[in-house]
Amino acid sequence: MSAAPEAPGRASTLDVVEVKGNTMTLSMGPQHPSTHGVLQVIVEVSGEIVEKAEMEIGYLHTGIEKSAENLFWTQAGTVIERMDYLNPLGNALCYVLAVEKLLGIGAEIPERAQSIRVLVTELSRIASHCVWLGTGGIDLGAISTFFYTFDIREDILDLLEQSGGARMHPNYLRIGGVNGDLPDGFLARLDALIEKFPQRMRELRALLQNNPILRDRMIDVGIVSAQDAVAWGLTGPALRASGIGYDVRKAFPYSGYEKYAFDVPIRDDGDAYARFLVRLDEMDEAMRIVGQVRKELDAPGPIMIADPKIAQPPKETIALSMEALIHHFKIVSESFRVPPGDVYQAIESPRGELGYYLVSNGNNRPYRVRTRPPSMYNLQAMKLLAPGNLIADIVVMIGSLDPVFGEVDR
Amino acid sequence: MPSSQVPSIAGTALDPTAVRPEIADAEIERIAPVQLRARLAELRAEGFTMLLDIGGVDYLEREPRFDVVYHLLALPDRPATVAEVGVPRRLRLLVGVPGDPASLPSICDLWPNADWAEREIYDLYGIVFEGHPDLKRIQMPSDWVGYPLRKDYPLRGPAREATPRPAFALKSNVPAGTPPGGKVAAALQKQIARARGQVAGNGEKP
Repeated sequence: MSAAPEAPGRASTLDVVEVKGNTMTLSMGPQHPSTHGVLQVIVEVSGEIVEKAEMEIGYLHTGIEKSAENLFWTQAGTVIERMDYLNPLGNALCYVLAVEKLLGIGAEIPERAQSIRVLVTELSRIASHCVWLGTGGIDLGAISTFFYTFDIREDILDLLEQSGGARMHPNYLRIGGVNGDLPDGFLARLDALIEKFPQRMRELRALLQNNPILRDRMIDVGIVSAQDAVAWGLTGPALRASGIGYDVRKAFPYSGYEKYAFDVPIRDDGDAYARFLVRLDEMDEAMRIVGQVRKELDAPGPIMIADPKIAQPPKETIALSMEALIHHFKIVSESFRVPPGDVYQAIESPRGELGYYLVSNGNNRPYRVRTRPPSMYNLQAMKLLAPGNLIADIVVMIGSLDPVFGEVDR
Repeated sequence: MPSSQVPSIAGTALDPTAVRPEIADAEIERIAPVQLRARLAELRAEGFTMLLDIGGVDYLEREPRFDVVYHLLALPDRPATVAEVGVPRRLRLLVGVPGDPASLPSICDLWPNADWAEREIYDLYGIVFEGHPDLKRIQMPSDWVGYPLRKDYPLRGPAREATPRPAFALKSNVPAGTPPGGKVAAALQKQIARARGQVAGNGEKP
């Protein structure tokens, strides 16, 4: 009797590439769901132990840096938001801060605009960690977590949609301020979210934090020492889980972060569970900042700088004022010139230090937009983490580094 | 604009890093390629433990043509609190690289995370890093021809750049008195005539 034919559509994503003696080379991905995007990991295994892991990236390369160099300064923000699609507002914030530094208007940004910037990026941080927690839970078999976290994320995306007009890529943060004030009813919904959030976090912690399966899968898996974390350029939660308290918001405050009281969660163990706890704590701290920003938002104020060469005039003035019409036309049709020079600006994105190195040659388009992608450097540390571990732990380790492939590949 | 080239406007700077205004975002150094490895090893010993990023810039008309920019950060490499980290020093090291042959020594042995960063610059700018253990394309497919982030590489790619976009039918390039042509225009004219009741058998024939 011959073996029964394999049922169609049941082929595994783990296809044997090569067998040599005791080692087997497997290709994991690029369409493997637990790689959180399109990542191909070519692993050499001996039994179940990984001997070497090589990662192939670039499946999501869309040439965003090249596109941005061919757009106006005012337009480039739209493509830049699409790099890190879980934290579009963070990317936009870093870019506008860098351009404002080059323009020399960083100190003139109205306070209300800065508060709104902090508000939306901290909300994005929570939403981004919600996706990491939900998908990370699925990797470990905890499917119900996904629904809890996406419920929180949905509330946040509703708020972002109200403020910016879109759920994912609102292009809400503009050079010189933000585009439009918060609408009526926004603050009431924000208050409701602030009120129910602690209870939601308690539920999540009760579900996960002391869950024996989760602890077994994550404790002592993917340990990074402090020395390795620095040498491999890890930033964000991955660095702080290895014991180093570097947070761009504390070390190089921007947008008025020095005004807010918040703690930087640090753990010393350096394993996947430490990174998990750091991110959970970070969600609480982010909401603490949101609560402080909320108190500043009752007082009205300008949300854009007054310079008509950079800020678009209010829509209602365009039909009444010749100058407003001219300024509007100039900004839309040819943007503005930025003085020549180069600048580096960093912010703390949910994944680590996100930086932009901008070069202007005095033209109305950026000459060079270089991103410092935290995901790429964090993911690269897999070369250090994977060897000597079980193949099943690769999934946990990738999840604990939280890469976003829009940003790794750009 | 059909071409991807950013139009050069009189008054733009050939080397923007030389006319940089006072922005205190990092310490800045510019060195020659031959000094690179020695200087970086020195800086690492001085306490710049983290290589944040390596980026490339193409200044097409400048000599040397490329800049490779190393961003360093001085972090403690042992567990440290936020207060102990304080305000770490940042340093930006700019290295001018000539266009032909474009090459630099690799620093993978100094910082392991230079691996992907150097591969990306090789992939997108064509700068060869000598001594790199596995220098191959990282973002683009392995059989790709050309280096996309170079300023003389067209935005839409060389193949599509070779086929020009059709010209827009502007008022200025249609001679006066030319009757509107094309199927759409004919159908539209027929519709208008029908609406005016000028065609016999209104609505009976297609």
